[in-house]
Amino acid sequence: MLSGLRVRLRALFRKAEVERELDEELRFHLEKETEQNLARGMSPEEARRAALVSFGGVERVKEESRDVRGFRFFEELWQDLRFGARMLLKKPGFTSTAVLTLALGIGANTAIFSLVNEVLLKMLPVRHPEQLVLLDWSTGGQFIFASMSGSITQDPETGLHIGSSFSYPAFEQFRSQTQTLSDVFAFAPLPQLNVNEGGQAEIASGQLVSGDFYTGLGVQPVVGRVIGPDDDREAADPVAVLSYHYWRSRFGLDPDVVGKIISVNGVPFNIIGVTPAQFYGGLEVGSSPDLSLPMMTGPRINPSPTRRSEAKESWSWWVQVMGRLKPGVSAEAVRAELEGVFQQSALEGWQAVPPARRPPDYGPRELPGLRVTSGGRGLAYLREGYERPLRLMLIVVGLVLLIACANIANLLLTRASARRQEIAVRLALGASRLRLIRQLLTESVLLAVMGAALGWLLAWWAKDLLLMWRPSGSGQLQAHLEMDWRVFAFTAAVALLTGILFGLAPALSATRVELTPVLKENARGARGSLSRFGKSLVVAQVAVSLLLLAGAGLFIRTLYNLHSVELGFNPENLLLFKIDPRLKGYKGEEVGRLYEQMIERFEAVPGVRSATLSEYALLTNSGRMGPAYVEGRAPLSPAENNVYQQRARWNYFEVMEIPLLAGRGLTPQDDGRAPKVAVINQTMARVYFGGENPVGRRFGFGPEKSGEIEVVGVVRDAKYQEPRQESPSVAYIPYTQESLGQTTFALRTAGDPRQSVEVVREAVREVDKDLPVFAVKTQVELADEALGQERLFAWLTGVFGLLALLLASIGLYGVMSYAVAERTHEIGLRMALGASQGHILRKVIGQGTLLTIIGIAIGLAASLALTRFITSYLFGVSAMDPPTFVAIVGLLAVIALVACYLPARRASKIDPMTALRYE
Amino acid sequence: MDLLQGTLDLLVLKTLQAGPTHGWDIAQRIQQVSRDVLKVGQGSLYPSLHRLEAQGWISSEWGASDNNRRAKFYKLTAAGRKQLAAETESWQRFTGAVELILKTN
Repeated sequence: MLSGLRVRLRALFRKAEVERELDEELRFHLEKETEQNLARGMSPEEARRAALVSFGGVERVKEESRDVRGFRFFEELWQDLRFGARMLLKKPGFTSTAVLTLALGIGANTAIFSLVNEVLLKMLPVRHPEQLVLLDWSTGGQFIFASMSGSITQDPETGLHIGSSFSYPAFEQFRSQTQTLSDVFAFAPLPQLNVNEGGQAEIASGQLVSGDFYTGLGVQPVVGRVIGPDDDREAADPVAVLSYHYWRSRFGLDPDVVGKIISVNGVPFNIIGVTPAQFYGGLEVGSSPDLSLPMMTGPRINPSPTRRSEAKESWSWWVQVMGRLKPGVSAEAVRAELEGVFQQSALEGWQAVPPARRPPDYGPRELPGLRVTSGGRGLAYLREGYERPLRLMLIVVGLVLLIACANIANLLLTRASARRQEIAVRLALGASRLRLIRQLLTESVLLAVMGAALGWLLAWWAKDLLLMWRPSGSGQLQAHLEMDWRVFAFTAAVALLTGILFGLAPALSATRVELTPVLKENARGARGSLSRFGKSLVVAQVAVSLLLLAGAGLFIRTLYNLHSVELGFNPENLLLFKIDPRLKGYKGEEVGRLYEQMIERFEAVPGVRSATLSEYALLTNSGRMGPAYVEGRAPLSPAENNVYQQRARWNYFEVMEIPLLAGRGLTPQDDGRAPKVAVINQTMARVYFGGENPVGRRFGFGPEKSGEIEVVGVVRDAKYQEPRQESPSVAYIPYTQESLGQTTFALRTAGDPRQSVEVVREAVREVDKDLPVFAVKTQVELADEALGQERLFAWLTGVFGLLALLLASIGLYGVMSYAVAERTHEIGLRMALGASQGHILRKVIGQGTLLTIIGIAIGLAASLALTRFITSYLFGVSAMDPPTFVAIVGLLAVIALVACYLPARRASKIDPMTALRYE
Repeated sequence: MDLLQGTLDLLVLKTLQAGPTHGWDIAQRIQQVSRDVLKVGQGSLYPSLHRLEAQGWISSEWGASDNNRRAKFYKLTAAGRKQLAAETESWQRFTGAVELILKTN
C-alpha cells in the first residue's frame, strides 16, 4: 500500500517527470509493435500505421493512465486555477471591475458580520462560558423593593417587567443555599469614580465585584493577582484590579503598577493586578469598567449617604448575580431550586421597608418570578438593543452582495458567449460538460476569492467606523472588533458561495452548446438576442437597487426631519460638562458655594457669555422622574402620572433660551431658606392643571406633599429625552432647594464652544485642582449622538443604494451594448432597407426601457411590502412616502435611460455598408 | 474475444508471476499463452498497469530490454502476490460455479 501511495504522490508533485515516463513507455510499446509488423513483411510506413491503429488513441490511453493515479481532482484543480488565472489576466478590465465589485459587496458583509460576531456570537472570554447562567427576575405586578439600581426592561410581548438586580442578602442566600450551582458571584456597576493617582484626578468607570467573581468566572490576571474572598470583607484593606485598557491608557502598561496606591472618591486603594486584554473587565458585552473593587468597599466610596446606609438591606436591590452550573444541571433546575429563596427574601425585605421609604401605595405585592438564562455571552441588555438594527444591516449588505453577484453573472454571461467557440471546440475534442463547468466555476470562485481578499482589507478598515455607531438606548460599544476565525470562515464561505452563485448559471449556459452550428460559424461565434437569463438579471438588479434606494430615501428624510425638529431651546454654542465635587468629599452647603464660585469663574472666561447648571443635560435620555400630585385635583392614573424634575440654577432658562410664557422665572432669592417654588413647562401645565392657570397653584412629589411646591411660572416645552420624543411634563426646581445627584454645567459661548474647553478646565483647576472635568460635549454633539442610529442607517443605505444603482446601470449598459453588438448585422440591414437613425435609437432604448420598467415595478411592489418593517425606525415620514418613491423612481429611470442611450446611439451610427460586409 | 471487466488485472498479475517484464511483453505473452484467443487492447493494458501500481500490487523500474533500449519493467510485489492468490481463488470459484450451471440439463 505504501508503495502505491508513493506512486500517487509522485504523480502529484513530480508531474512533468511522470508524464515524460508515460510518453517513453508508450513510445517503446509502439516501436516494438512496429518492429513486429516489419518482421511480418509490411513496409515501414504501413507497419507504423498498423501499430498506431491497434494501439488506439494515444492521448486517451494517457488520460486513462493519469486517471488511475488518484489525486486527479487536485491535479485538475491546479490546472483549472492556472488556466483561470491566465484567462483573468488576459482581461484586466473585466477582472478589476469584477474584483472591485465583489470586494465592496463582500467587504461590507464582512464588516457587518464582525460586529454581529462581537455583539451577538462571542462568548465571554472566561472558562467554560457555556456553564454560566445569569439570574434576573420578572414580574407583572408592582415592584417589591424600596430602591433599585440596575436595569428594568419591559418585554414587548408579555408586558412583564424584567429586572437585573437583587438585594445583597438575596445574593448571600443564593450562595449559601444552592446545590445546583458550583459558584455564585455578584457584581454591580459603579457610576463615575474620581480616581486620583500621583496628584492627577480623572474620572473612571468601575464595578463592584464579590470575592468569588474571578474564581467563578475563571479569569486569570496578566499582572499581580485578582480580587479574592479575603479582599471582600468589611475589615480588609481596599484593593483594586485594573482592566487591561485602563492599565494601558492610564499607566502606560507599567509593569510596576501593582502596589501603587490610587485614591478612589477620596479612599485609598491598593492596586493588586490587571485582567487580560480579551476580558473587558465586566460582563456586559461592549462595556469596560476601568476598575474593579471588592463589593464590601462599595458603601465606603458611595457619595450618597442613603445608598451607603441601605447597601445591606433586603429592600434595596442593586447587585447582579451570575452562577456556574454544576455538571449535568439545567438552568430550569436552578430556577426551581432558588425561586423560593428569592421570593422569601423579597417578601422579608418588603415587610422590613422603614416607614420613611415606603411608597404611597405600600401594601401586599405579587411576588416576582426568578429567571435563569444563559450567561455565556454576557448580559443581554446591550445585545437586545443591537439585535434588530444589526439584522437590518445584514439584509442591506446581503442585498448589495446579491446585486454585485448579478452584475458579475451578467458580465460572465457576455463573456461566455464570446467564448462559445472555444468551448464548442473543447466539447468536440471530448471534454466532458461537467469538466468544463467545473473549470468555469473554478474561474469564478477564483474571482470571488480575489474579491474576498480585497473585501477583507476593506472591512478591516471600515470596522472602526462601525464602532462609532450606537443604537439609541445602548452605551457606546467599547469593544474592539476582532477579525477572528469566525469572521474569516464567514468571509470564506461568502466568497465560495458567491463564486458559485454568479458562476453557475453562466457556466451552464456556456456549455449548453449545439456543436455543429457553432463550429460551422465564423469566428464571431453564435448570435441571437439577449438570453432570458441575462434580462432577468438586469430586471432583478433594478428591482433590488430600487429597494435599497427607497430605504435610503426614507432614512435620509428621517434624519432630515429629526435634524429640523423644533427643540424648544437653542442647542448652538452650548458647551456641557460635568464636575462631581462630592466624589472629592465636598458636603452639604460647600457644594452649592463651590458651584456658585465656579459659575462666577466661567462667566469671567473670555468667550463665555453666560453659565448655568442643571442636574441632567438635555437630550441624553436620562433624568429624574416620578409621580406628582396637585393640590385640589384628583391624582392622575399611575400610567399617566410622571413628571421629570430638572433641578437647575435660576438662570437656566436664559442660558438655554427657553422662553417664559407666564408668571416669573426662577431667581437667586429662591434658595434653601425661601419657600419651595417651581417653573413648569406647557405639557405639565396642560396635563396636570387642565385649562386652569397653574401660576400660584401648588403640587408636590408625593400624595401627602401636594402643598409643598408653588408654581411660579410656565415655560415653553423643550425636548427632553431625545429629539424624536414629544416633550414630557417637566418641573424646573431651584437646585438650591433640592440636592443634586449629579451636576451638568452649561456654558453659552460666543463662538465655537469647543474652543473654550481648555480655558474652562483651567478655571476649574484654579478653584480646586483635584476636581476633574468630564463628559465634555457640546449640545449639538449630544443631539447628533442621539441620532447616531438614524445617521448610520441613512448613511449605510444611502451609500449602498448608490452603489447598487451604479452596479445596476453598469449591468444595464453592458447588456444593451452586448445586444447592439450582436445585432450589428440586423441593424445594418434595417438601415439599408430605410430605417431611420431615430427609429433604431428608439427601438434599442425601448428594449432597455422595458427591462427597467419591469424592474421598477417589481422593486416598487417589494418596497411597499417590505418598508413597513422599518416603520419603527422612521420619523415624520410614512413608510410609503410618495415623494420619496417618486424621486427614487425618477432617479432610476434617468440613470437607466443614460445607460441605454449610449449603446443605442452607437447602434444608430452603424454604417449599413460596413455592417453588411461584416458577415 | 473481449476480456471481462476486471479479468485483465488478474491476467497481468499472473503473467508477472513468471518474472519482471515490460508492457509490450505482457500483452504478447497473454496473446500467445491464450493461443490468440485473448487479445489485450493496448488501450486498456497501460491504464491497468498503472492502476495496479497505484494500488501497490506491482512496482516498476526502468531497465534495458533487448538491443539495449530503455523500457519500464513491472514486477509483482508481496502484496501483489497475495492479491493474485486471492483473485485466482475467487476466479476459480466463479468459473466452477458457472460450469456447474452450464452442465445441468
